Amino acid sequence: MKLELHAEWTKLRTLAGTCWALAAIAVLTVAFGAAAGAATTCASARCNHDAVKLALTGVQVSQAAVAVLAVLAITGEYGTGMIRATFTAMPRRSAVLAAKAAVLAGLTLVAAVVGVLGSVLAARLILPGRGFTPEHGYPLLSLADGPVLRAAAGSALYLTLIALLCLGVATAVRDSAAAVGVVLGLLYLFPILIRAISDPGWQRLLVRISPMNAGLAIQATTNLDLQPIGPWAGLGVLTAWAVAALACGGLLLRLRDA
Amino acid sequence: MESNIEVTGLRKRFGAVTALDGMTFTVAAGKITGFVGPNGAGKSTTMRVILGLDAADEGRVLIGGQPYRALRRPLRHVGALLDAAALQPSRTGRDHLLWLAHSQGLTAKRVDAVAGQVGLGAAARRRAGGYSLGMRQRLGIAAALLGEPRVLLLDEPFNGLDPDGIVWIRDLLASLAADGRAVLVSSHLMSELQGVADHLVVAGRGRVVADASVADLIAAASGDRVLLRTAARPEAMTVLAEAGATVAVTGRDTLTVAGLAAERVVALLTAHAVPFAEVAGHRATLEEAYMELTRDAVEFRADGAR
Amino acid sequence: MTGLLRAEWTKFRTVRGWVLGMVLAALIIVLLGVFTAANNYSSCEGPDGDDCPAVPLGPDGSAVNDRFSFAHQVLDGDGEVTVRVASLTGTITYPPPDHDKIVPGVVPWAKAGIMIKESVRQGSAYAAMMVTGGHGTRLQHNFDGDAAGSPGASWLRLTRAGDTITGAESADGVRWTTVGTVRLAGLPPIVRVGLFAASPCDLTVTQGDLGGTIGKCRLARAVAAFDHVSLAGNPWTHDDVGAMRGAPALSQGAFRESGDTFTVSGSGDIGPYGLEGGQPVERTLSGAYTGLIVVIVVAVMFITAEYRRGMIRTTLLASPRRGRVLVAKALVLGAVTFVTALIAALVAVPLCRRILRGNGNYLLPVSTATELRVVLGTAALLAVAAVLALAVGALFRRSAAAVITAITVIVLPHVLATASVLPVELSQWLLRLTPAAGFAIQQSVPEYPQVTGHYVPQMGYYPLPPWGGFGVLCGYAALALGLAVVQLRRRDA
Repeated sequence: MKLELHAEWTKLRTLAGTCWALAAIAVLTVAFGAAAGAATTCASARCNHDAVKLALTGVQVSQAAVAVLAVLAITGEYGTGMIRATFTAMPRRSAVLAAKAAVLAGLTLVAAVVGVLGSVLAARLILPGRGFTPEHGYPLLSLADGPVLRAAAGSALYLTLIALLCLGVATAVRDSAAAVGVVLGLLYLFPILIRAISDPGWQRLLVRISPMNAGLAIQATTNLDLQPIGPWAGLGVLTAWAVAALACGGLLLRLRDA
Repeated sequence: MESNIEVTGLRKRFGAVTALDGMTFTVAAGKITGFVGPNGAGKSTTMRVILGLDAADEGRVLIGGQPYRALRRPLRHVGALLDAAALQPSRTGRDHLLWLAHSQGLTAKRVDAVAGQVGLGAAARRRAGGYSLGMRQRLGIAAALLGEPRVLLLDEPFNGLDPDGIVWIRDLLASLAADGRAVLVSSHLMSELQGVADHLVVAGRGRVVADASVADLIAAASGDRVLLRTAARPEAMTVLAEAGATVAVTGRDTLTVAGLAAERVVALLTAHAVPFAEVAGHRATLEEAYMELTRDAVEFRADGAR
Repeated sequence: MTGLLRAEWTKFRTVRGWVLGMVLAALIIVLLGVFTAANNYSSCEGPDGDDCPAVPLGPDGSAVNDRFSFAHQVLDGDGEVTVRVASLTGTITYPPPDHDKIVPGVVPWAKAGIMIKESVRQGSAYAAMMVTGGHGTRLQHNFDGDAAGSPGASWLRLTRAGDTITGAESADGVRWTTVGTVRLAGLPPIVRVGLFAASPCDLTVTQGDLGGTIGKCRLARAVAAFDHVSLAGNPWTHDDVGAMRGAPALSQGAFRESGDTFTVSGSGDIGPYGLEGGQPVERTLSGAYTGLIVVIVVAVMFITAEYRRGMIRTTLLASPRRGRVLVAKALVLGAVTFVTALIAALVAVPLCRRILRGNGNYLLPVSTATELRVVLGTAALLAVAAVLALAVGALFRRSAAAVITAITVIVLPHVLATASVLPVELSQWLLRLTPAAGFAIQQSVPEYPQVTGHYVPQMGYYPLPPWGGFGVLCGYAALALGLAVVQLRRRDA
């Protein structure tokens, strides 16, 4: 396993797009979060905004960059036929996938942490000027605050889990365009459906099983009792999706010819 | 339309690397012109410039007097085989030819005719992703022949063909040239072109190193050297060297003699009573001629071979 | 060009995966539409049982609000009526910030004035001159006609001549200014004329507990006092037009006559019906967003597959005029997508309508022109988005990056604008500036400035008009295709 890890690390490190994708993850997270913060105002104590969620909105955009990185980590090899060289060198295919997942998760986590910390910092600079002041019930965002820390750490984990979900889907699908389509379809289908229907039971159910809506429940710091799913339970749903996708990808990897 | 290709003064750089450095030659109708050179000599780039795929920094290419991009239904003038693997794997071979035919205003009838001509047969209706190298090559040649063009460019057409296939393509090329078509065949293996090409363009470091008929090239490479087989090697060397020849040892009982005609060698050896088993005018192979010409033009060569 | 188009069409139809992708997109549009329709219920509890009261239809067949307090008499043939609105006051029930009492107040679109109306039947033709709470005098007719007068006038006049009605206003009852003339086609000789008052509810918008905004509308009532009424002397009839049985007392209309002064009070509104309480036709096409994702994947593959295998060289050998190749590809892809989406829409719309109606929903009526615009527009939206994705694919030459970029610029802004914690202004800018603006083509019920409403993307209102938004998407597609052509011409293949 150590050898596989080392090989996958070298492979991903030397892939041309990796650095760009990692930079994009961090930059998009911060930039879009800052833009959302700058566009929002809180006029009074009853403005009912979730400042933490607002500050971390960028995650919804940067997950696209995560998807690029994760999908290319595996479909790039299928596209060029390099996968045969990989499996000739390392015949234990599950170990290869596990090593790939570990390296990918590590890199994504680093970029995501940078992005999330940047977002919190940006929010500290921007939000007080937009009316998010202690008088309106918004103390300065601080990671020492339990819910804020949970939302921030959870957002970084969210992006990491999205990367693993993408890797699993891409391993199963093998074609990069189709893999990206499946993953983004899966992420965006649920919020669109939830808005279009009026049945509250179905709405709650869809939120609970949706990888994006449930996963992002980790960002909520207000009205927790009204959320259809708890923060950690929500992240658990996304974890289940990621594990299922990886398991499916791993199984197909073993069963199919390279 | 006249069927020939005129390549004039092509220059092209990729960053710091000069790919083409004044490439100039002509491909005449009714002949098979071999286009040879070591890897990196600029063969593929030249072919792509001829076909309007790459733009040269300088110089121009005319096909029958017109640049490729000005041709209206180009495949009816020029057929080309570049990369036989350039296929959509999920499409059948016949459908691949069909879309090409539609782009030239040709019908499915022509597709079936050309698929039969190259011997694809029933395989034409299978997905191209499952084709062997040889079948892909045949499909690529079918695509090149589709529009019954007067000019043909084939990049490494022998790749992946079995001996039967090689014989087939040699005959095909010969018959195409006999019809008065201009045929340009590139290869990095000179031996493949021996007996096929009438004319050779040898490229090296982005320009033409030699441009001559095959007969002339071989004669030039052969020089006036004489091969001598003798058991009395030292005596023969002494006699011939005194007569002003350059003598090289090429084996346990063989010598190569340069600077003297074969008749003179025989006369000298007989006069000095040196015994010999065989005297023959040396005829270079195309391979040797090529190695001679490209010795300086090879860009990458393992140090040990220097 | 015909040869090129045929060649590209042959290329498309001979790859089974792409054809299946298009079929999948069509299935998604239909099936998600059915799922959405099946999970939208509506029922009313009231004196009439579970059936919701019928929504009145205006003279042109569109759904309208027609609820107001009307004191009226007969007008036989041509004639003229003049009044002065002495005062317009009102009450708002449980207004913000504390939501616990009834206070005096007039909402901006509270209205009172004189009206000529075909009959007291809801939805019948009318024209009215009125003063409003915050928008000056207006001449309104047939529910969506609205012409502004001046802010200060309190004297109002309506003149009927045949089927044309002229509205005029005056600040002093001496110098009159014509506000406008409207034609009420087919107005019968005998109509009703009189004094009316109505007040739409008081809209307050708050931040939702789980993101987004929530609009709450609180009952309001307008009270108008009229004097110098030219109709004085004839017998009056009062009708609370459109009043529901069992409605709260505060919403009921009243009419009082004391000397030369007449007081009319009432709530409700006269105008086009918004999206609230009904299902617009575009609800049946909500599968288009997800179908679009599949279309984008196929569109990108249609071009990047050529680059991945080097087949682009074969293509350019066959057709060296590169710009035309890309244009032919775009035309074929656009046409295939258009037809696919159109078939899906033609199946989804009637099917989902039937399901929605079965679930007790009120289907907002649309004109044929609007319905055609929504159905054809949805197909065109997918087609143009596919062309944009194709161009992005040609620019990037890598399928993963191209698919992500296309989805991120076309679908994601819509998701963010309608289902996130972004403030309304930012959401609206996303739907103005990004290709997602094109979804505006689906909006069947327009935003009326003269009707109080919660006009936000989340509720289905786009910041740009339908064709304007579609134009933004077309602009992006044209720009990307242009760049792709330039790049294809310049770069070595």
